[in-house]
Amino acid sequence: MLNDPIRPAGGARIPVKLHRRVCLVQTEDGVLAEELMARKKLAQDIVGRLTECVLLVRPGRVESVVQELQKMGHTPQVRSS
Amino acid sequence: MYLADPAFWTELQRHTLNCYDEALLRQVAARLVKPRNQWPVEDLIERGVATLENPAVIDRRLHDLTPPARRVLALIGLSRQPYWQLGNLVELTLALGHDDGLQPVLELLEAGLMYPSLHRGSDTGNGNGFSDRKIKSFEQWLAAPGPMGLRVFAPPTIASRAIGEDLGLPDLSAEEPQIATLHPIQEADGLEWLLRLAVLWQQVHAAPLRRTLNGDFFKRDLERLQQDPLLSAAPADRLTDVPDLPFLTVALAELQGVVVQSDGELRAGPLPASWDNGLTNALETLWLDLLRLSAWTPLDGWRAGESAAGNPFPSAYLLAFLLLARLPEDATVRPETLERWIVTQHPYWTNESLRPSRQKPWLETFLLGVAYPARLVQARRGEDGWRVRLTPLGRWLLGAGDAPNLEAVPTQTLLVQPNLQILAYRQGLTSSLAARLTQFASWETLGAACMLQLQPETVYRALEAGQSFEGIRLTLEQHGTRALPPAVLDSLRTWANKRDRITVYPSATLLEFTSAEDLNDALARGLKAERLSDRLAAVANEGDIEYRLFRLAGTRDYALPPEKCVSVEADGVTISIDLARSDLLLETEVPRFAERLDHSASGRRQYRLTPASLSAGRSMGLTLATLETWFHQRAGQPLPAAARMLMTAGQVEAPRLQHHLILHVASEELADGLEQWPQTRELIEQRLGPTALVVAEENVTVLTERLHAAGFVLTKRVERD
Repeated sequence: MLNDPIRPAGGARIPVKLHRRVCLVQTEDGVLAEELMARKKLAQDIVGRLTECVLLVRPGRVESVVQELQKMGHTPQVRSS
Repeated sequence: MYLADPAFWTELQRHTLNCYDEALLRQVAARLVKPRNQWPVEDLIERGVATLENPAVIDRRLHDLTPPARRVLALIGLSRQPYWQLGNLVELTLALGHDDGLQPVLELLEAGLMYPSLHRGSDTGNGNGFSDRKIKSFEQWLAAPGPMGLRVFAPPTIASRAIGEDLGLPDLSAEEPQIATLHPIQEADGLEWLLRLAVLWQQVHAAPLRRTLNGDFFKRDLERLQQDPLLSAAPADRLTDVPDLPFLTVALAELQGVVVQSDGELRAGPLPASWDNGLTNALETLWLDLLRLSAWTPLDGWRAGESAAGNPFPSAYLLAFLLLARLPEDATVRPETLERWIVTQHPYWTNESLRPSRQKPWLETFLLGVAYPARLVQARRGEDGWRVRLTPLGRWLLGAGDAPNLEAVPTQTLLVQPNLQILAYRQGLTSSLAARLTQFASWETLGAACMLQLQPETVYRALEAGQSFEGIRLTLEQHGTRALPPAVLDSLRTWANKRDRITVYPSATLLEFTSAEDLNDALARGLKAERLSDRLAAVANEGDIEYRLFRLAGTRDYALPPEKCVSVEADGVTISIDLARSDLLLETEVPRFAERLDHSASGRRQYRLTPASLSAGRSMGLTLATLETWFHQRAGQPLPAAARMLMTAGQVEAPRLQHHLILHVASEELADGLEQWPQTRELIEQRLGPTALVVAEENVTVLTERLHAAGFVLTKRVERD
């Protein structure tokens, strides 16, 4: 969350907040995101919904999230950036 | 391959020379560099490294060596394996007829043409994997070699200059009896070990192999390997039995990096990159690893956990191949003839105290069971048993011939069937195709025609390894004898699409912009990022961020504990968030149990906990314990009473309205006395406050009497209006 902004003038440096080592799950559509959040075991590890298709995962819980997704029959791509 | 990378060897030499004590370094440099002045240590190291990059100087230094030392270098050069156990080199020197096996090795170390292997394979104190301890003399290193043992290396640039040296080995074909009938020469396709390694890779990818402390496998995994139908089966063109065949595959896989040890388990590593460079390259790396093989021997089979030191077989293997390289090109020799020469020359077998169990024949097992499937030797059956000679590949590896072209002409060699089975004919199979098939299909049978099965899991595995649906389709179409059945294409597409539905970022770097316009602006200025929302973008590589374009308003690391950035107002239900210190976790957490207020101050955002917001939180799994933890972490204080009240509403006993007859006393001590004195204690129902006690209506008379007896006079009752 950033303060209410003042738009930078053209060429000026853009104010930005850097979030490092964030655990996320991105779904193909919002319905799938709803489906994941409705899963009780996943809900414990999902902190909340950043956007319609992006869920924020509790730090350190990504492995159990991937395991639970696989139990649900999904085949998530795990992208290490 | 690192072996062919000159930079790798110069860097290794530099680090190794750096581990020499100054006196030892000057002693080595005196022979290697021949300095005319007293140069600083750093200069000596750099000039030493530079000397070894100059073939003319290397040749001069080789000329200065004694013949036995030149032969040791020639052996290393011919083997192409730069790393050797010192004991094996001593054995080889003695086998070639020299009285002192150690002296030539010491001579090479002192001449700076061979080096002790000091790299531990992992970073140590100085960050490069080398010990800080300096070697004062080679005798000291021989006495206490450290964790790497007595292992030495000679860079290929040096060893390859010595391979012309005559080793004095005999041509043993002259001793062979002539026989009338010989069957045709047999030569394997060289794919057998690669396919077995591929099968093992798939097995270990599915479930790692657990190791005991002494390096063996746990019983379950031991049985799993022993009973595996593919790994334990003999090759289709078996010439002899091989003991512990599955474990030989494991030993080779470890050396090839197909499986890697991690936390007491063997896990799948990457398939060797050499497989993509053609069969010749793949078999060359296999040859190099055969000379390092210590966990399996043709005499003992699997010898898990036993030390590599004291294993005479690597030197014996090399002697056998060098003897084969001495044969005229069309001559063959019986393995027993080779073995007879080795056991009469090799110090391990000439030792008089050698137990009879160690004197059993072993070379035929190795040549026909290991080297033949690796396409290193050809075999021909005669009346008196098998005879062998080197293949063109074997001759090339030992410097006796030109590099052969082993590449199969790319042909349609796959038959993909509608039931998702793939039939792969070996004659058109290449090492790179085998690697690709291994990733996206499971090997079901190995033979002249191999059977593979396409499954969702195997396709996901391939996608995870970087292959794509298009890549898999192209592979099957390019090498297929028929058009890809539509059912197979549909299955592949479905599995690939399904996998694309969810992406997990375990450790993403996000940029949060103040507005959608700012994000658009950043992308227009060349920011390499994937837009997640109108203000958020995921960056593939933090190093790609051009910070000169941005003004950092804050940095949050989500691997660190959450930061306290919430303050609680006096009402206990209104919370203010410091936007400069907050993070995305907070932004998604708070709306789950609080309502945002419109009148937030600049730099702060306010939320209020209400019965409705907390009820919604509870319905989504929010618990009292979670909320308490959240307040401790984010506000640094316990859950306020008002918030606790709202959170627990409906979960505690319902409040009730009730009439009481209350006895008011003058002091707290008097109330304590009435509660303690047995005469009055049983008449007090409850204590409401420091000086207020509840008395039951029916006990009033008795209480009045007992108080009177104690010296108190109960005043008259005050009735309600």
